[in-house]
Amino acid sequence: MAKENNVYHIGKPFAAIDDDVMRPIEAFPTKLWWGAFSLSALAALIGVATIIYSFVVGLGVFAINNPVGWGFFIVNFVFWVGIGHAGTLISAILFLFRQKWRTSIARAAEAMTIFAVIVAAIFPLIHVGRPWFVYWLFPYPNERGPLWSNFRSPLLWDLFAISTYFSVSLIFWYMGLVPDFATLRDRFERYKARSKVGNFLLQMKSYTYRALALGWVGSAKTWHHYEKMVMLLSALATPLVLSVHTIVSFDFATSVIPGWHATIFPPYFVAGAIYSGFAMVMTLMIITREVFKLKEYITMKHLENMAIVILVTGMMVSFAYTVEFVMAAYSASHIEQYAFINRLKGPFAWAFWIMFTCNVVSPHFMWFKKLRTNIKVLFVISIVVNIGMWFERFVIVIISLHRDYLPSSWDSYDPTWADYAVTVGAFGIFFTLFLMFIRTIPSIALAEVKADEANAALSQHHHGAAGGH
Amino acid sequence: MLSIAEIKRGLFFYEEASRGFIASFKNPADLLKAAEKTKQANVKSFDCFTPCPIHGLDHAMGLHRSWIPALTFAGGLIAGLLGVAYMYFIDAINWPIVYGGKPFFAWPSYIPVLFELVIYFAAVFSVVAVLVLGKLGSINRKIPATGVTSDTFAIWLGDASLTKSDVERILAGLPAEIQEIKP
Repeated sequence: MAKENNVYHIGKPFAAIDDDVMRPIEAFPTKLWWGAFSLSALAALIGVATIIYSFVVGLGVFAINNPVGWGFFIVNFVFWVGIGHAGTLISAILFLFRQKWRTSIARAAEAMTIFAVIVAAIFPLIHVGRPWFVYWLFPYPNERGPLWSNFRSPLLWDLFAISTYFSVSLIFWYMGLVPDFATLRDRFERYKARSKVGNFLLQMKSYTYRALALGWVGSAKTWHHYEKMVMLLSALATPLVLSVHTIVSFDFATSVIPGWHATIFPPYFVAGAIYSGFAMVMTLMIITREVFKLKEYITMKHLENMAIVILVTGMMVSFAYTVEFVMAAYSASHIEQYAFINRLKGPFAWAFWIMFTCNVVSPHFMWFKKLRTNIKVLFVISIVVNIGMWFERFVIVIISLHRDYLPSSWDSYDPTWADYAVTVGAFGIFFTLFLMFIRTIPSIALAEVKADEANAALSQHHHGAAGGH
Repeated sequence: MLSIAEIKRGLFFYEEASRGFIASFKNPADLLKAAEKTKQANVKSFDCFTPCPIHGLDHAMGLHRSWIPALTFAGGLIAGLLGVAYMYFIDAINWPIVYGGKPFFAWPSYIPVLFELVIYFAAVFSVVAVLVLGKLGSINRKIPATGVTSDTFAIWLGDASLTKSDVERILAGLPAEIQEIKP
């Protein structure tokens, strides 16, 4: 039986799969959705209002000060860029490795990437102080000299990395969506034919999906090119995603601040990004499958696989923490050693210990099959891991900056209401975008799910009972 | 010289909407057989329409290798070369500044920016190539048979000499629902 051989096999007629996947788009949203949406929209509003207020009043509303020049902005920036990484890992890297289980979660994970990068990009934008001049960062011939950007600066590398990451993720996601938009277009065409009175909203939706589908009709000649493109974009996105957090870590590692100046930073940041990203995918997928009744598509097996990725990357992150301490101890530099003693016992030691408990201890629950197949446990751990990963960036940015070489230049860091407001606002913007995504765009890659189903049936047809892959 | 109308016709002319016959199936295995039979019967212009990519269909139809990988590579290469040239122009010719005693043309520090440029333009070339070669972009293109974006697998046979009985003979033994296309 195909069903027993292949846990990811859905075994429904294609029309029924269409109905299941399109239900969240075509049905009126539930009370639960409205509740979640109002809450996150409120948080987003608080964030946006604070950002506008800071533009009017100036950066003084935030707590950044002389030694701690990066503050919550860069904590949040690194956190959100990191969240994005799991989406690309699922959509590109697991695709190249032929991991069939990725299919039904790839779309939502990729959407999460895009929203996370949008949220991440807000923080450097506020941080530059005068965001209306942000285009000065790009090296275009200008009337100021010309005053060029400095290609030796890791901050400029970061600009290029984040812009490329966002653009490539967006076009990869959109091109993946085109066949599904075509399915939606043809469904809305049917609804339009059925409804007797001219429904304006239906007309608008129908027209939007028609435009987004780009005239896709599923021609084999188009699929032929399209499949090559999907493969190539995955192959391009794979080194890209590794480069992005590597370059983010260069912002720290190429400086001379004790606690930042470490060669382990690039792999450590990438592992941490995948760790927090998978935790966020887990949180979102648990909510999505419960609220939108997609349990046949996002199965326990998917969640279990993600739990194992969280366990592995969690141990990689723990290993990196250990290496940092060993390198400091071995460095014979008392300033480097002090930076790490300060993490353990300094005024922000509470942040270090929150990070340690959440990131080093909590993933080990995933060793037990009973726990990693329990939705409630998974949900709690996925949130705990993200709290831990937020504090990891807090530890790196704030603890390292507030005490560096000269005690005379030491200071503390005391976040203001505005810092908290933009942090809450970031979560609000992210969840608002994600909830709108679920209601308007197929959250499961329909054509890919069908391809898996059709081709599994075809290979069984050809090789008889022996072939069941 | 090509006129705009001719270019538009070249880009957005869809043969399957103007003539020929369309045969629909509910099973991709039948479509694969139909594509093989159509190729064997020496039909010149034909295409398949499916809700998802089907393994082996391009082979069964005898499609040529796609140009997409070559165009993607070209995009990356062009971006890489232009990127180096631009940074050389900026740092060594237009406004040379000494940073940390390094040479004006400090190429190792250009690697991250170049890497991102190569990836970005390779991806853009790839996508634009699919839009052009895959004839996407005309939003009013009609689906040739109902359900090809949902659960129907269809083949279109478009040679001018074909009659309905020819098509029935080619697809004999397959559970096809054959319709003639009227423009």
